[in-house]
Amino acid sequence: MAEKAKGGLEAESKGLIVLSVILAIICIIWVLPMVAVVINSFKLNTFVKTETFALPTAESFAGWDNFIKGVTLGNYNFWLATWYSAFITIASSALILLFTSMAAWYIARVDSIFCKVVYFLCIFSMVVPFQMVMFTLSRTATQLHLDTPWTIPIIYLGFGAGLAIFMFVGFVKSIPLEIEEAAAIDGCSPVRTFFNVDVPMLRPTMISVGILEIMWVWNDYLLPYLVLDVEKYRTIPIFIQYLKGSYGTVDLGATMALILLAIIPVIVFYLCAQKYIIEGVAAGAVKG
Amino acid sequence: MAEVVLEHIEKIYPNTEPKKKKKPKKGQPAEPEKKSNLKITDEGVVAVEDFNLKVADREFVVLVGPSGCGKSTTLRMVAGLESITRGTLTIDGVEMNDVAPKDRDIAMVFQNYALYPHMTVRDNLAFPLKLRKVDPAEINKKVEEAAQILGITQFLDRKPKALSGGQRQRVAIGRAIVREPKVLLMDEPLSNLDAKLRNQMRAEIIKLRQRINTTFMYVTHDQTEAMTLGDRIVIMKDGIVQQIGTPQDVYDHPANIFVSGFIGVPQMNYFNADLKKDGDTYSVLVEGVTIELPEDKQQRLRENGVEAQPITLGARPEHVSIYDGKGDQSHMLSGVVDVSEMMGSEVHLHLNVDGQDVIVIVPTTDVNFTFEKGALDVGKTVKFTFSGAVVHLFSKETEENLEYKNQEQHTFDL
Ligand SMILES: Nc1ncnc2c1ncn2[C@@H]1O[C@H](COP(=O)(O)OP(=O)(O)OP(=O)(O)O)[C@@H](O)[C@H]1O
Ligand SMILES: [Mg+2]
Repeated sequence: MAEKAKGGLEAESKGLIVLSVILAIICIIWVLPMVAVVINSFKLNTFVKTETFALPTAESFAGWDNFIKGVTLGNYNFWLATWYSAFITIASSALILLFTSMAAWYIARVDSIFCKVVYFLCIFSMVVPFQMVMFTLSRTATQLHLDTPWTIPIIYLGFGAGLAIFMFVGFVKSIPLEIEEAAAIDGCSPVRTFFNVDVPMLRPTMISVGILEIMWVWNDYLLPYLVLDVEKYRTIPIFIQYLKGSYGTVDLGATMALILLAIIPVIVFYLCAQKYIIEGVAAGAVKG
Repeated sequence: MAEVVLEHIEKIYPNTEPKKKKKPKKGQPAEPEKKSNLKITDEGVVAVEDFNLKVADREFVVLVGPSGCGKSTTLRMVAGLESITRGTLTIDGVEMNDVAPKDRDIAMVFQNYALYPHMTVRDNLAFPLKLRKVDPAEINKKVEEAAQILGITQFLDRKPKALSGGQRQRVAIGRAIVREPKVLLMDEPLSNLDAKLRNQMRAEIIKLRQRINTTFMYVTHDQTEAMTLGDRIVIMKDGIVQQIGTPQDVYDHPANIFVSGFIGVPQMNYFNADLKKDGDTYSVLVEGVTIELPEDKQQRLRENGVEAQPITLGARPEHVSIYDGKGDQSHMLSGVVDVSEMMGSEVHLHLNVDGQDVIVIVPTTDVNFTFEKGALDVGKTVKFTFSGAVVHLFSKETEENLEYKNQEQHTFDL
């Protein structure tokens, strides 16, 4: 018996080792492109293609040149692109959080055919690939004058609503109705109940949804490219794409440097927010 | 002054979809009367039917009944959380049918506490006052006061999740009393607590009641809570009020078989019997034994014009006495001891009388000293009787108490 148990344990630890190795390989494959970006952003352009995975040497090291080049060259102001990216990201995420949480609250609390239909439309919108709607979208957006950075958040609201509503409805349903009833008796109007009682309880979900939306919008290339007038308005991904146009040839070193610059805010943001996700989930696990 | 009047209140849930089964509550044993026989009309499910009650100022009224009988629905209609299908609800003479919950000047304590999890206890208590724009210094004073009354001062800065069930319920009660509502509604506030804590909190509610000047409406499915807390008890079944009365009243004069079985533990014993009428004198024949009825019962039966008929005879376990070998035994019934439950100060004997279970309560001291050793052991045949003064006579046909035939006078309280 004891031997068998020991054998079982050994087999288990062997299995664990195999699993670890497989996962480690997957991890390496996963981060390799990012490592390449980091390495190459510090290499001279000519070395990027020839020695892609080599660390910068004294000969190939470019210092901060690539970053300076990436930011200053090109026929478009990088900081303007950053500003547009930041504005679109923040405005879109804020819109999505505000409107979808309210919509989800209504859907979860009001039991009517209308709500069910809206809910299923939202779920359905998640499975429709963006490529299917993108051409009609760009025309419609132009006709409705949604083709500026100030209005594009409305389009993001539409595309982000499906997932956000799905997540919010699930959570609102887990909030006991009695808490809202208690609030109604204590003197809250429905709107007040939502903002004073539900929103604080929704915080963990708000943060998770917010992170997803921010990363998506910040990194998104296709939608703004199709919708915006790219001569006038560029976000960072579009800016990077257009870098080659200014030079005739592609400056890979500068491109890598800009990609690195573009992903740093997202990574920093994610690391900061992670703490809140864990804290939020722990707090949400206990009902009143 | 806060007088609550419910006049012909009715609640009908439109049955747009097949009737949803409400989720069962945990920690609550399945009751035998579980299946409800709610009336279903064209409009939908009738959850509460023709409810009439006048709750006096500072009165403590308890709504009691088996699961699904419409107690919560009634209370929620008073709170304004559920619309009133028909009838009028007035608080202090003002019609409240279409008034929002927050403007009714009521407070409610829920079974699952319903505290705001993101606020500290202090903020939970202060929340209703803040919404009413009370001066912060005043809020502070009232919160401290309520915390003092309920003994939760040391928890004021904790979040609800860091409290035990009993402490949470205190906070919930605190939140309800802090703004001194006209009417305090409680929906099974103690049923999430364990037995010991429940007894303790029950005593605290009695004490609380003496300290605050509020009208109470309290819902429970536990008859002990109803008997000990209520000035008056409203017993409901399937959405219909069965009887309204003081605890003494419903215990002594149950309006029908349902009420007699619901009030009192262990349950009342029932026998098939015959009501005999000899001229102007009534007597009861049960198991071949004749039981004489006292004059007041005779009087009431005469007044109601009751005819001789087969009846259901009820006798409470505490009113049945076992023959101890002394005196006359000609008027005794007999049964075989099936089960003997030792409860501490008393013993519950389950007797088998012609296949029927009859429960008798015997004080433990009697078992030990009055009776012969082993006389009440399982398998022994014992003789027992009950006085005609304490029996209840129910019509076989209508299940109503023959002495108090007029149903209206029990359920119509206006
Ligand atoms: N929304 C609804 N639609 C249809 N029927 C309902 C609805 N809500 C409650 N009911 C029915 O109304 C009846 C009364 O419900 P209520 O909650 O008042 O019972 P209760 O006496 O409080 O029972 P419990 O002791 O289980 O809390 C139940 O039979 C229930 O099935
Ligand atoms: Mg209930």
